[in-house]
Amino acid sequence: MIQILIQGLLLSGLYALLAMGFTLIFSIGRVLNLAYGSYLLIGGYVYFQFSQVMGLPKLAGVALAALMGVVMGIAKFRLIVKPLKGEHVPVEISLLILAVVLQAAVVLVFGDSSKILLPIIPGVKWLAGTAIPYSNLFAAVASWLILIGLYVFVRTTHTGRAMQAVSMDPKGAAISGIDSDRINMITWAISGALGAVAGVFFASYTQLYPGMWVGPLIIAVAVVIVGGIGSIIGTLIVAHIVGFMEVIVSAWIAPELRGVFTMLLIIVVLVARPRGLFGREEL
Amino acid sequence: MGLRWYHFALWGAFIVGLALLPELVSKGTLRTIIFANYLAIFAISWDVLSGRTGYISFGHPFLIGIGAYTTAILTKRFDVPVEISIPVAVVVTMIGGLIVLLPALRVRGSYFAMITLAFMELMYQLVQVIRPDLTGGTRGMSGLPTLTRGAVNGFYLSAFLMVSVALSMWLLMRTRLGTALSAIGMNEESVRGSGLSATKLKMVAFLLSAAIAGLGGAFYVHYLGTIAPRALFEINFAFTIIVAALIGGASTIVGPVIGAFFLTLLLEYLRPVLPGAERYLIYGGVALLLYMYQPRGIYEIIQQGLARVRRSS
Repeated sequence: MIQILIQGLLLSGLYALLAMGFTLIFSIGRVLNLAYGSYLLIGGYVYFQFSQVMGLPKLAGVALAALMGVVMGIAKFRLIVKPLKGEHVPVEISLLILAVVLQAAVVLVFGDSSKILLPIIPGVKWLAGTAIPYSNLFAAVASWLILIGLYVFVRTTHTGRAMQAVSMDPKGAAISGIDSDRINMITWAISGALGAVAGVFFASYTQLYPGMWVGPLIIAVAVVIVGGIGSIIGTLIVAHIVGFMEVIVSAWIAPELRGVFTMLLIIVVLVARPRGLFGREEL
Repeated sequence: MGLRWYHFALWGAFIVGLALLPELVSKGTLRTIIFANYLAIFAISWDVLSGRTGYISFGHPFLIGIGAYTTAILTKRFDVPVEISIPVAVVVTMIGGLIVLLPALRVRGSYFAMITLAFMELMYQLVQVIRPDLTGGTRGMSGLPTLTRGAVNGFYLSAFLMVSVALSMWLLMRTRLGTALSAIGMNEESVRGSGLSATKLKMVAFLLSAAIAGLGGAFYVHYLGTIAPRALFEINFAFTIIVAALIGGASTIVGPVIGAFFLTLLLEYLRPVLPGAERYLIYGGVALLLYMYQPRGIYEIIQQGLARVRRSS
C-alpha cells in the first residue's frame, strides 16, 4: 500500500512536469504540439552528451538541456507556427513531420541503440520495503518545485497574467494592449524548457533511445484531454490520476496493461465530458 | 459529375502506364512500387475521412490494423479461406470505424486527433496482451497465406486494387456526396443549416474510410505474409499515411496517390546516394519543406503550374 503510494507520487510528479509544457501550448496557442516529445528526446540527449560524455557537472547538463528546449521552442514558433499563421491542421502536421525529422537527426548523431543515463544522484533509499532511487526522488521534488514556480509565475507576474488573458480570449487580450506574438513566444520557450528538463528526468527513469518521444507525448495528450485546457491545478491533479492509475494497474492487475487504462480513461472522458474534468467550457 | 475528355485520357494513361510498368522497371523497383500502391490505398482511405471532412485522424493504423489482424487470425488460427476472411475483415473494420465515429459526434479539431491517437495506442497495447495465443502477442504472426507469387503478380494485384479504389472514390467524391463531405470540413453548422444530416454524412465518410482501410490492410497482410504490432500500430506508420495524403494534396483522391508514389520513390532513390540514417532526415526534411511551401500539396502545385502555362500561351 505504502509502496504504491510512494511509487505513485514519484511517477505522478514526473508526469505533471512533462504534461505541463504540452498543456501550456495547447491552452494558449490552441496548438497540438505533436513535436512536444522531441523536447524530451533532445533534452535527454543534450544532458547525456554534456554530462555523461563530456563530463560537465550534472546541473550544468540539465541547464543546457533546458536552454536547448528554449531555443527549440522559439525556433518552432518562429519557423513553423508563425509562417503558417497558426492554422491548426498545417501546424500540427508540420510539427508531426518535424518530430520524425528530429528523431532521424538523433539517430544520425547518436545511433540507434539505447543509452542508459547514470542517475543524477546515485544511491537508493529503502522505505517500507520499497527501493526509492535518490534520482527519482530528486526528479519528483524538482518537478514539484518547477511547477510551483510556474504557478506563481503565471498567477502573479504581469507576463503570466498576460498569458492567461491570451489563453482565455486572444482578441480581448489584443485590445488590452497585449502583444500576443510575444506572449506566444514566451510560452513556447517555457514549454520547451519544461519539456527538455522533463526529458532528462524521464530518460533517467527509463532509458534514452530515439523513439522515446512517443510515450511521453501520449501521456501528455492523456493529461490534457482528461484535465481540460487552461488549468495548471487541473493538469497537476490529472497527472496524479494517470500516474497512480498506472502504478496501481501494474501492481494489482498486470504491468503490461498499465497503458491500456490510461487510453480507456481518455476515451471515456472525451465521450462523456469533452471539455475535460477541469477545463473551461468551449470546443 | 462534370467529366471532361482529359479526365478519361489521364486515367487511361495512368492505367496503361501501370500495366506496362513491369516491362519497364526491375523487380526490385517493382517491389517498392507495390508498397507505394498499398500506401496509396491507405492514403485514399485517410483522405476520404480526414482530407474531406477535416476530422484529422492520427489513428488510421488502428483501422488498418483491425482489417489486417482479422484476416490474419481467421486464416492462420481458424483455417478460413482467404476469399471469406478478407470480406469479413472489411466488415469488421467498418464496425471499428463506427467505434471511431462515436467520439467524433461530440468533439472536434485537435481533440478528435488526440482521441484517434489514443485509439491506436490502445490497440497496440491490447493486441500484445489480450489473447496472445490468437494475435501472436508482441512478436505477431508469420507464415500467413499469400495471394500471389513473385513481384509481377503482386504488383498487378496491388495496382488493380489501388486503381479500383482510387477511381471509384474519385467518381464518388465528384457526386453531391463528396461536395457535402467537403462542406463539413469547411463549416459543419452551415451543412446542418442546409437541412443535411451532418451525423449521417460523417457516418458515411467513416464507413467508407474504414472499408478502404480494412480492404487495404487485409490484402497488404496477405502480401507480406507476416504481421507484427510494432510495425503496424506505430506513429511512424500513421505519419507516412498522413504525409502521403497531405503532400499529394488532401481532399482530391488523386493527390494521395501522387503523394504515396512521390514519398516511396523519394525514399527509394535516396538509397544509393545516402545509404545510412541520413536518408530519413533528408526524406522528412523534404516532406516538411514541401508541405510548408504548399499545405495543399503537389496536386495544387501542378494545377497552379498548368494555369500559369495556359495563361502565358
